[in-house]
Amino acid sequence: MFSTWRALSPRARREALEAYLALTPWIIGFLIFTVFPIGASIYLGFTQWTIVEPPEWIGLDNYVRMFTRDPLFWQALKVTGLFVLISLPLKLILGLMLALLLNLKIPGMNLYRTVFYIPAVISGVAVSLMWMWLLQPDTGVVNTLLSYIGVKGPNWFWDRHWALPSVAIMSAWKVGGSAIIYLAGLQNISAHLYEAAEIDGANPWHRFWKITLPLLTPTIFFQLIIELIDSFKVFTEAFVITQGGPLKSTYFYMLYFYEEAFQNFNMGYASALALLLTSIILATTVFINYTSKRWVYYES
Amino acid sequence: MMQRVSTRWIALLVLVALILPNVITLAQDNVVTIEWWTVNSEEYSEEAQRGLAAQFEATHPNIRVNVTVLPESGFDERMTTTLGAGEGAPDVAFFWNTNWYPQALDLTPYIEADPDLGPETYFENFWLTRAVWQDKIVGLPLGVGANFVMYNKAVFDEAGVEYPTADWTTDDYLEMAAALADPDQRRWGGDRPRGPFRAIWRNYGAFPYSDDSTTVDGFLNSDASVAAYTWLWDLVASGATPTPADLEILGTEGTGPIDLFLAGRLAMATLNQGHMLNAIDAGVEFGIVPEPQVEGNERYVNAWSLTASIWSGTQHPDEAYEFLSYWVGPEGQRYLMENGNLFPSIPEVLAEYENAETDYAQAFFSVLEYRQVAEWTNAHPCNSTVLRAAVDAWDLINLGEIERDQVEATLDGLVEPSQAALDECVARLGG
Repeated sequence: MFSTWRALSPRARREALEAYLALTPWIIGFLIFTVFPIGASIYLGFTQWTIVEPPEWIGLDNYVRMFTRDPLFWQALKVTGLFVLISLPLKLILGLMLALLLNLKIPGMNLYRTVFYIPAVISGVAVSLMWMWLLQPDTGVVNTLLSYIGVKGPNWFWDRHWALPSVAIMSAWKVGGSAIIYLAGLQNISAHLYEAAEIDGANPWHRFWKITLPLLTPTIFFQLIIELIDSFKVFTEAFVITQGGPLKSTYFYMLYFYEEAFQNFNMGYASALALLLTSIILATTVFINYTSKRWVYYES
Repeated sequence: MMQRVSTRWIALLVLVALILPNVITLAQDNVVTIEWWTVNSEEYSEEAQRGLAAQFEATHPNIRVNVTVLPESGFDERMTTTLGAGEGAPDVAFFWNTNWYPQALDLTPYIEADPDLGPETYFENFWLTRAVWQDKIVGLPLGVGANFVMYNKAVFDEAGVEYPTADWTTDDYLEMAAALADPDQRRWGGDRPRGPFRAIWRNYGAFPYSDDSTTVDGFLNSDASVAAYTWLWDLVASGATPTPADLEILGTEGTGPIDLFLAGRLAMATLNQGHMLNAIDAGVEFGIVPEPQVEGNERYVNAWSLTASIWSGTQHPDEAYEFLSYWVGPEGQRYLMENGNLFPSIPEVLAEYENAETDYAQAFFSVLEYRQVAEWTNAHPCNSTVLRAAVDAWDLINLGEIERDQVEATLDGLVEPSQAALDECVARLGG
């Protein structure tokens, strides 16, 4: 490092110093507001701490409890894993389908794009309350519409088998945000590729399968990572609507974390839970990143 | 001549400039400023509380009260973090979270030396549940609140059902709810409890685990507990009560289905004194009875008050007590009753309530005398942990997923996870 520094010209050195000086506020902020809390959380995961009294070092007890004596931990992990498996493909596919529609050249498209993007910017609590009304079993809009075609709708959030899919449906409603990112990816694909394929006799399905999808894989990869992290962190819907029920069918990991941290003031255990979730997300992301070499196609 | 006069004036000004700050400092030395953190609520508005502080300052010229009014959620976070940091906490504040009690100043010496204020000043059971913790006096109880059953007289008259009386039983509740329900009018007879092991469970004599916090078996699945859960099963099966979805959608932010009650779609509802005021404002004819009893058993009420305390790190404990005893004493509570909606925790002051002679007020006051659910739950901090482990019984009954004769077996099946939760909690809290 020092040899590199010595090799720089005086002007380059000055520029480098100026750059570091300009970065200093961000670095300080990063250290104080990101690195320190992460470090503190790792430390607290090995303690018992109720906030109002000093933390007490208990070694690996929190982790031992988590894996051996805590059925709620396993329930929360199971529910969250299941939710990721349901909602992640749903959001990826729906987002892509919506983006393909929003990429059509028809009049008023900007209005449609705005309308579909709106759910992504509405507060999670407001969205939750709205869906609670929509999916009310007796008087909700969805079941009323289903009754017109002779279908008796389920009890949605108030049915142990339907509660989790209901939350997944609700989260899929906000795909407008990811559709906009897909749209940007779609518009980056050169038109001449489609023209060449059309001349060669490729039908729309072939063009989608052989051109659109491969060239969209970097965007899909990005969306996969973002939506994966988002799905693991689901909280608001369960907190507002189901409180983890019925029968713990929507007892998400973040809800359990919240209860332990801010209702039971069991901060040490909550820190251990947070660290474990971070590790799971990190490991999954690294794995996806590793496999990306096989399926993500960069045109360059 | 002019020069001599100017010199004199300058000398005088210099003298004043030198003396004045000292005089001001001396005066300030005699005035102590105490920090008071509070919240804005329907019972005591910000305006009323600032008025109370001003009135206190007028009669206590040596104490200045710096009032900080916070939103409830912000209050929780700021109190927890400042108490955790050990600095910056207010001299006087609500200590409504039992987790904060270790940082509350023990008021025992102050109360013993105070000729005007003591346990006998307040409702005995509120003193017990909100002022005393581990043999310390951690605060004083401000205001009272309680759950009771409100019944809509017009609905009862229309259905030809007699009004309930204070000595009614849980069986009476089921019968009345069934008689009052009218599916054609989308009207329910009565609401369902919002959780187990509250007043009705206590009235059955049911507790989730032993008093010494060691054993779940024989408590969660005791005869009394089975009877209480079976009563819930009967209520749900009757169809005379709104479903959880109805209550979630049509209720009011978890505080109780007051809107349904006011609209005449729910004949009986377990509500509180704030809802009582709503019903008066809405012009609804109603009556109040305690939650139904179980004959031969002691009767309980789900009641609350707010503990107002002094931070143990305060630099001005004497002045803080002066203010606390004013705020939560007769003068302060009277002021907040007359300038807000507070129902005082001091019987003598509560008796001055403007509608104290009405039937509904008398019924509300009588409920305050019952033994409180909080007496047991405050002394058993693992209660919520155990109930979380045992929540399946509650859910299964509310969802109508088990038969009446499966209630006992369901509770038996929850003993093991509940015992594990209790053991873990007790160990974590140091026994």
